[in-house]
Amino acid sequence: MPDSQPSGSFSTRPDAGGRRLRRVLLAVFALAVLLVLIAPLSTSDQADALGLPVLVDKSQIRILTTIAMFVVMATAWNLVGGLTGYGAFGNVAFFGLGAYACAVLVDPHKFHLPMLAGIALAPLVPIAFAVFVGLPLLRLRSHYFSIATLGTAVAVGEVVKNVEYLGGANGLFPPIVRRGDLLFLYLMVAAAAIAVGSVYLVLRSRFGYGLIAIRENEDAAAVLGVNTTLYKVAAFALAAGLTGLAGAVFAVWNSFINQELGFSLDFNIQMILMAVVGGAGTLFGPVLGAILLELLLQALAGQGTVAVYAQIGLGLLLAVTVIFVPRGLVDFFGGSSRLSLGYLRRTLRETSV
Amino acid sequence: MTLLVQQLVLGLLIGGVYVAVAIGFSLVWGVLNIVNLAHGGLVIIGAYLTWLLFSAFNVDPFLSIPIVAAALFVIGYVVQRLLINRVIRAPIFFTLLLTFGVNLVIINVLLLLFKSDFRSVTPSYSGSGLSLGGVQLPYIRVAGLAVALLLAGAVALFLARSRIGGAIQAVGADRDAAQLVGVDLRHVYALTFGIGAACAGVAGGLISTAQAITPSAGEPYTLQAFVVVILGGLGRVSATVVGGLLFGVVETLAQTMVPGLGAGWANAIAFAILVVVLAVRPRGLMGRPV
Repeated sequence: MPDSQPSGSFSTRPDAGGRRLRRVLLAVFALAVLLVLIAPLSTSDQADALGLPVLVDKSQIRILTTIAMFVVMATAWNLVGGLTGYGAFGNVAFFGLGAYACAVLVDPHKFHLPMLAGIALAPLVPIAFAVFVGLPLLRLRSHYFSIATLGTAVAVGEVVKNVEYLGGANGLFPPIVRRGDLLFLYLMVAAAAIAVGSVYLVLRSRFGYGLIAIRENEDAAAVLGVNTTLYKVAAFALAAGLTGLAGAVFAVWNSFINQELGFSLDFNIQMILMAVVGGAGTLFGPVLGAILLELLLQALAGQGTVAVYAQIGLGLLLAVTVIFVPRGLVDFFGGSSRLSLGYLRRTLRETSV
Repeated sequence: MTLLVQQLVLGLLIGGVYVAVAIGFSLVWGVLNIVNLAHGGLVIIGAYLTWLLFSAFNVDPFLSIPIVAAALFVIGYVVQRLLINRVIRAPIFFTLLLTFGVNLVIINVLLLLFKSDFRSVTPSYSGSGLSLGGVQLPYIRVAGLAVALLLAGAVALFLARSRIGGAIQAVGADRDAAQLVGVDLRHVYALTFGIGAACAGVAGGLISTAQAITPSAGEPYTLQAFVVVILGGLGRVSATVVGGLLFGVVETLAQTMVPGLGAGWANAIAFAILVVVLAVRPRGLMGRPV
């Protein structure tokens, strides 16, 4: 099939509009930094101690932490799905493995490590797992790779659920950290900074060019001397480590982890959707997607019928994004294209039959 | 010994459902190059239609199969024509995302319409069966296997003998060449997806007689259809039949005969099979070379 190759639709080249993009993103980051800085004036006890009014409440800190968590996951997915062009569909396995690894490491009856040591060591488990399954899985292409990764995620979750040492269906309960809201916000933001920083470095390295070469034409890349297996597995493992880091922080933050939380298929699709909505293959696309989509999800969050409508909305958003703005929102902010009726018609025509 | 034979027979009978589920999935994948993540959702629409006809008008689930299939054909045709045709030339991953979105919408609309209560279709003969030398053969399951094999035969015959079937195969072999000789791609794509959806509807009807249904009960079937197609191989109806029956047998035997494994391991077993086949023989038992 002539079009089964992922085409160059995920452009990463900087162009005239790059400066506008940088300005917009600088504003976003300034806002994020500001929020993080004013966070200490937030929870009532800290504000009381300083004699200041409460600026942000605990639930807002929770939302910020969740956004940072998805920034990590969407950015990590982008390494494999966006840069390398391999549609990973099971990255939540790394999240769950990192979360479980951390929960076991800090458990007083198991390894009883300090929390920070647990968080730092936990990503090694998903990294090892990614290398182990990456070698056979990354030989597969297109659908086969996607569904095999999805299957792996589901299967790992099920195995974890059946292992007594990992708490079985009940899950694990890492010790509760009292008044830890801010600590976890900072930890998650640090993880997000590590993730974005990693992709920034990758994009400017020989490694990153190799990954993009694999995306554009794997056989040609191999002919040009790119060690495709090594590169693909390395990208997969890096994504696994970052996603596992988010999982590790999540486990101690939430002080509860079970199969449904750790291997949540909702998280699995949300991180991909965020990366694609924002702009797969770009540095800041997944960040933007994570912020916007998580805010949207929070606004729609609710119980019962509301949640059902929110899910329908998510499905429709997925369809509209894929059909009309397949290059993501960063494409407009970057100035490479202007959002107009003509643009929508063009993207539609490019991919229609 | 009787236990082993019983489990083998049960595996074959359960495999019949997998055959029915996988035929449409395999057709859509082979011709349109789409892995349809909404397939399970379509299956469950079929199951709910069967349940509606049964509970409201007391129509026998096996008699309602043609009605359900026709309804699902229309749904499938519209979904392909309006939505999926729009991304058919995009990177493959995008069709995965789109069909995932469609599935999300299907499940949640069903939730709004039917709530998450368990529904089941229980005609008078459900629960009874035939006993052959100590081996139990539930009527429902036997009829399900028969319908699945008939469906497979009908689809194979349609593809091989009819004019539209020829057009569908031509599109699957070479889209651009088919267009050059005058095949209307949009229409044939939509027809193919409609037929796939109709097959899913038939499978849903069978499933509604065999288990309780909820809006999300179709989820496992998408993944199982994938395993069946990988196991049998892409591009032939007979490969799907072999893959489905074999998968039913292997799954049943693994769950009942291997100590330490049980129903809780169904997905893990399926994906163990998947990964092994993909690693050892990516084109499946009888598929075209990849």
